[in-house]
Amino acid sequence: MAHHHVTSADIPANGEHLDPSKVSRVKSLALGVAGIGSLISVWLLFFGPEKYQGWYSYSWVFALFFFFTLAIGGCFWTLLHNVSNSSWGTSVRRIFENLGSVFPWLFIFAIPLLFPGVQKYLFEWMTIHREATGDIHKYLEDHNPLLAHKFFYMNIFWWYVRFFAYFICMGLVINHLRKLSTGQDTDPNPGTRRLFSARSRSTGTLIIFACTITFAGFDWLMGQDYTWFSTMWGVYLFAGAALNSMAVIVLTAAWLKSQGYLKNVVGPEHFHIMGKLMLAFTIFWAYVSFSQYFLIWYADITEETKYFLIRNTDGWNTGMIALVFGHFVIPFVILLQAWLKRNPKTLAVMAVYTLVMHVLDHYLITIPERGISLGNINHTVFGEITPSIDGAFWGDILAFVTIGAGFLFFYLRALGQHALYPHRDPRILESANISN
Amino acid sequence: MSTTRKRVYGYLAEFKSASSLYKAAEKVRDAGFKKWDCYSPYPIHGLDGAMGMKRSILPWFVFFGGMTGTFTGFFLASATQTNVWSWVPGLAKAIETYPTIVQAKPTNIFTVPAFFPIMFELTILFSGFTVLFGLLALMKLPRLNHPLFASNQFHRATDDGFFIAVEARDAKFSPEATRSFLEGIGGTSIELVEEEDS
Repeated sequence: MAHHHVTSADIPANGEHLDPSKVSRVKSLALGVAGIGSLISVWLLFFGPEKYQGWYSYSWVFALFFFFTLAIGGCFWTLLHNVSNSSWGTSVRRIFENLGSVFPWLFIFAIPLLFPGVQKYLFEWMTIHREATGDIHKYLEDHNPLLAHKFFYMNIFWWYVRFFAYFICMGLVINHLRKLSTGQDTDPNPGTRRLFSARSRSTGTLIIFACTITFAGFDWLMGQDYTWFSTMWGVYLFAGAALNSMAVIVLTAAWLKSQGYLKNVVGPEHFHIMGKLMLAFTIFWAYVSFSQYFLIWYADITEETKYFLIRNTDGWNTGMIALVFGHFVIPFVILLQAWLKRNPKTLAVMAVYTLVMHVLDHYLITIPERGISLGNINHTVFGEITPSIDGAFWGDILAFVTIGAGFLFFYLRALGQHALYPHRDPRILESANISN
Repeated sequence: MSTTRKRVYGYLAEFKSASSLYKAAEKVRDAGFKKWDCYSPYPIHGLDGAMGMKRSILPWFVFFGGMTGTFTGFFLASATQTNVWSWVPGLAKAIETYPTIVQAKPTNIFTVPAFFPIMFELTILFSGFTVLFGLLALMKLPRLNHPLFASNQFHRATDDGFFIAVEARDAKFSPEATRSFLEGIGGTSIELVEEEDS
């Protein structure tokens, strides 16, 4: 296009760094909110009245998995950028990496799930396993054949192994890739070695990404009702993760640009591409979530329809219908516009909108299960089985704010650690002058 | 030797590379020419901007083509399997005769998820058709001949030649000034192309 051709004279030799004074207040505020919120959450989860413990366990999983998808999406875009040998994204790649680098820190917020006191409200199958006497497999065969069939996957030891594996494996991958990238900034001998090694190391590790989001989704969300299953669950969560982490990336890039950063390397072409990726994943999310609904609706098998029956009851149905229009039809039509994707401001508005819809999506994944499960556990404490529990949403907001503040803290911390874009990457000029 | 006068198509100028073609295109655009075109063996990123081309209207055709597909799919499926259209006088009789009940699904609007695959497919099909035929129509293709084929060097546009042709129909065209303009922006082998006898 007719814009100025970027040359190495436009790239500062030491790279652009985020001015700490711009974020220090937000950062300390976020840390404070996360700290206070965590203290209240620990009380609610472990020491509060039993009623609140049960309610809040679901709030916690909802908020945890929401931010889990955003961070792991950052890992996904880093891996995809490297493995596809793409040049367009080099100037925004640091944002992918910084978003992904939040992932290992989410372990802190996942710790409550390790305690049986929380698990007993969320995962009924664990309670059944713990009640077993004698040989557990024999016990399950006699008392609960379904769990006996699922024993190879759903057993407590293996669940813990997977839990740690998600954070360790994916965390090692993203930390390694990020180090490989940031090391280039100070490497006395910067060449193409790091570029090629990032590419080759992003191939097999994509499998780790796929397994992490799929099985974490199975373990923490689908496992809330051990009788229900959907083979599209992993890809459904992935679609939301890829879409909304891209929304976070767009927001970050637009904010950095508004603060005067990334001036020479990120332009309308980059926002156009990121906007196209948002459009593509809006469609992909709709395709996958409709396919999941469609197959279950058509086959009409009792175990499978359960999920949608709960979510099409009472107010949840309004939410589900709102998802169809709000998460697909509206953003699809709006994001079709090319001019809108090229303008950082309008695209940022769409990114915020998409994230709001993602909150609704994840709220409808986790929370409708609460009234059903808790009423089933002990109705003298939690009341009879109901579609929803009055007042429990305050806990959802608290959990969301707590984990969200922690997420923001670690994200801003990562953004300030290194240069904002890989200024010594062999492809940075190619990326800055991209046209599509 | 024929003595009949031939109609002049315009000037054809060769450029040595894609980047010199790109830069020349910007200058032709800025000089205010309207009826001219670039010819290159392969697509050049950003050349549309350098030529000052407006965004094509084709996406709008495709959007409405796709919507037509969506509604055709919905109408086709709902008219043949449900009673959604039974309020339309002419259709009432036919529709009430064939409500298709599959797996106890309702015969009203709430069976719409079953129609999504066909709505989706027809959207794609109609969009695809609109792209193909809309594109051909906008490019005025297919055509049997093009005046530039009279040039002996023009066949290199499919191999290693980069050309700009300025048509004589352009309001700013003049036999001398346009020639020297094309020379000034780096054009070589400048040739006045005349249309072949028909």
